[in-house]
Amino acid sequence: MFFSRLVTRWKGLALTLLAAIATVWLGVTGQLGLYINPRYYAFTLIMAGIAFVLTIGALLVIPGPGEDDEHDHEHAGFNGPDGRGPDARDVDGAGRRRPLLAFGGSLTAVVIVAAAAVALLVVPPSSLTSAAVEQRSLNGSSNALANAGPPPGTSDDTTAYSVKDWAALIRQGASADDLSGRTATLTGFVTPDADDPDNVFYVARFVVTCCAVDAQPVGVPVYSPGWSSSYATDSWVTVTGAFEANPSVLSAATTVVRPDSLTAVDQPAEPYVY
Amino acid sequence: MTDPAKDFVTLSVSVIIESLPFVILGILLSAIVQIWLPAGFLLRRLPRNPVLRRSLISLLGVLLPVCECGNVPLARGLIVSGLSVADSMAFLFAAPIINPITIITTYQAFGWNDGILISRIVGGLLIANLVGFIYSAHPAPQTLLTRGFQAACAVDPHAEHGTRTRRTLISFGRESAAMMPALIVGAGVAGLIQVAVSRNLLITLGSNPLWSVLALMALAFIVAICSNVDAFFILSFGSTFLPGGIVAFLIFGPMIDIKMLALMRTTFTVRTLVQVSVLIAVCAAAIGLAVNLVF
Repeated sequence: MFFSRLVTRWKGLALTLLAAIATVWLGVTGQLGLYINPRYYAFTLIMAGIAFVLTIGALLVIPGPGEDDEHDHEHAGFNGPDGRGPDARDVDGAGRRRPLLAFGGSLTAVVIVAAAAVALLVVPPSSLTSAAVEQRSLNGSSNALANAGPPPGTSDDTTAYSVKDWAALIRQGASADDLSGRTATLTGFVTPDADDPDNVFYVARFVVTCCAVDAQPVGVPVYSPGWSSSYATDSWVTVTGAFEANPSVLSAATTVVRPDSLTAVDQPAEPYVY
Repeated sequence: MTDPAKDFVTLSVSVIIESLPFVILGILLSAIVQIWLPAGFLLRRLPRNPVLRRSLISLLGVLLPVCECGNVPLARGLIVSGLSVADSMAFLFAAPIINPITIITTYQAFGWNDGILISRIVGGLLIANLVGFIYSAHPAPQTLLTRGFQAACAVDPHAEHGTRTRRTLISFGRESAAMMPALIVGAGVAGLIQVAVSRNLLITLGSNPLWSVLALMALAFIVAICSNVDAFFILSFGSTFLPGGIVAFLIFGPMIDIKMLALMRTTFTVRTLVQVSVLIAVCAAAIGLAVNLVF
């Protein structure tokens, strides 16, 4: 019963504290960008700070599990509206009437807190991988299209073009002819072409609108037979090369980059593009 | 860890970090309604005519820049303060759609094209009021709520002891005990489904008049994205989808998705949630189909 009370009273605060600390820690170490779009940094960090202060305040005023409540309703409040599963509607009063059920509910809550702690603080933060690319059709989103004008004229400066810009142009139908003479320098992670994984890979990035949940992969195909012996899937590379028609007959990509140089690089601090 | 396992953790953590500020904001607003406003401050000012009252309540969200996860604690606070369950549902389902940020981002994404913005706002308000109307006829509205939440409602927040600050902190502890485990579970399930279900199929279906509506509602359900930005998300698929599918996505998603179900489960019984989900799904699909036929 002591255990059940301890858990029902403190699980919410424990979870809020975990989430707030994780948010601030990610913010301080510059890793918040793995999860949300930078335009939400300020709001997210301010609210995490408020959550932290409120949690500490609540911990100070909430009666300890050993103390009896002077007013019973508060007790009902804490045990009551607490969610799902067996731990949900039945915990109310269960500490007195159904100790086993209350124990089961508390155990569920402990598992949730432990899982949250592991996910938020123990597992090293990571960007999305090529497994997510497979789930979300590479270049299936035209997000980047909105910003892409017509193919660049010969006088346009394309040195600053990113993976997203080039991917948008190619998706729009820019052919190797349209892009001939252009050299692209691209940084992204390696993900194999679905149809010709031996010869073609994509230099890819995720485009994130709000958070990693809505991430859409974009990428530029690179023709480089035998690439997988030197570069692992999901490793980061910088490619420099010119565009040409895709020599691969299996791959669906029409225009590829033929690399002049291909070097492994570290994952950038902001792996996603916006 | 394998890649899908890594992505599962990344996606789940991303949902938690993205939603946490709104949940905290919702809990704070809920405490303000219950503790800092005088008793009956809101309720006294509402018209007596039920249809009029619910219309007004469903419009309340225009004042609150809170997306769907923050509205759950707020709706709970309204019920505790004495608003009827049916009226609170009208608020809960309309607010995320007509909150000012959602309207602005939907306008930025679509402008006046294809009637998407208007259909979203009008459709959302209609459905929320319909849900409120139907449940206002329920003979025993208390039974729509979980037993635990009924117990919390039995307490008059204004009668509790202590300073307002102390009561606010206690209310924060209580609401976070309800919301946070639900958020963690909702985030976990949302992450899991995203790793398990390929989006390609849903997206392929997006250009058929009927299937686009159903597929995009399914997408809204599994993506569980915040209503403040869902318009940008769906816009990113560009011309792939018919406008009716987009409207169904934008109406259904803020009301019902996997994360919302976990959060609402803190308050409503499973039976209620199933009924409401089916009702809203049918209405959203009907509106989506109508848009596809008209535009």
